[in-house]
Amino acid sequence: MNISLVLYRKIVAGKIYMDQNLHDPINLQHISRNACISRFHFHRLFTRVYKRTPHQYLTKKRIRLACELLSEEKLSVTEICNSVGFASMGSFSTLFKKEMGIGPSMYRHHAITRRQEEIKKPTSFIPHCFIDGFTQI
Amino acid sequence: MASPKFEKKQFSRNSSVGKGLALIYKFTLMVTKLSHATLYVTDQNKALDFYSKTLGFKVHTDATMESGFRWLAVTPPDQPDLHITLLSPLNEFMYKDEDVRAAFKLLLDKGALGAGVFYTPDCRATYEELKAKGVVFRGEPKEQFYGIEAILTDGCGNWFSMTQPKQI
Repeated sequence: MNISLVLYRKIVAGKIYMDQNLHDPINLQHISRNACISRFHFHRLFTRVYKRTPHQYLTKKRIRLACELLSEEKLSVTEICNSVGFASMGSFSTLFKKEMGIGPSMYRHHAITRRQEEIKKPTSFIPHCFIDGFTQI
Repeated sequence: MASPKFEKKQFSRNSSVGKGLALIYKFTLMVTKLSHATLYVTDQNKALDFYSKTLGFKVHTDATMESGFRWLAVTPPDQPDLHITLLSPLNEFMYKDEDVRAAFKLLLDKGALGAGVFYTPDCRATYEELKAKGVVFRGEPKEQFYGIEAILTDGCGNWFSMTQPKQI
């Protein structure tokens, strides 16, 4: 069954709504209302188009945003948990570890160490062919 | 005369010969995948914005050397081990020769450098989303014999095909 252009636009509107409101405690009702489509219909079509449920998409997106914030060192882990829309620190830590393989604090430690290394020794991140090749032309 | 069944059995993966061949194959292959690919862009800051914010790629490395050479590598969401390096050939830190820089500028301005194909699970949905984000397309998605395709630009001199392959 083909999806009509009007429906495509509604699903995309719902996805963009999720992207723009990650920080707030949004649910399927908010999203489907914004997409002007029923909850059931939105869930079914979204899953068909993006090969994951709206909840799975939202969780992954929030974890990714948390990764960026953890690398910046501006906010504490608890503040990041709240700012990316997770209700509790426990669920945030569990989901983060499930997705990334390590906990949020450990991720922050690795990210900051790597960034410092990038600043201190940038050449260690660049294959030598690039350094040697380009600078000679 | 050996039957086809006998031939198949002789080299099946579960047989000792098959296992031996698989082991030899594993240790004799020298190149197994692509790890870095370069995309030349007219402006690295603009490219960073497009690939990370608009397309959702992850910034892997953004390191500037003392000479001013900036190594900017991004990875697609489902290919964390493929580093796409966004390099600016118009920068004198990269190419000292002015003629080389001018040649690259001409090619990038004309969009004449071959770029690549982006995979998308749903071309029409991604087209609508990227269009809403201001990405420039050559036209609406079209059915091709290999799938559904739309042509887009990164705004930094490269044109890509964004394809949803046909399901076989």
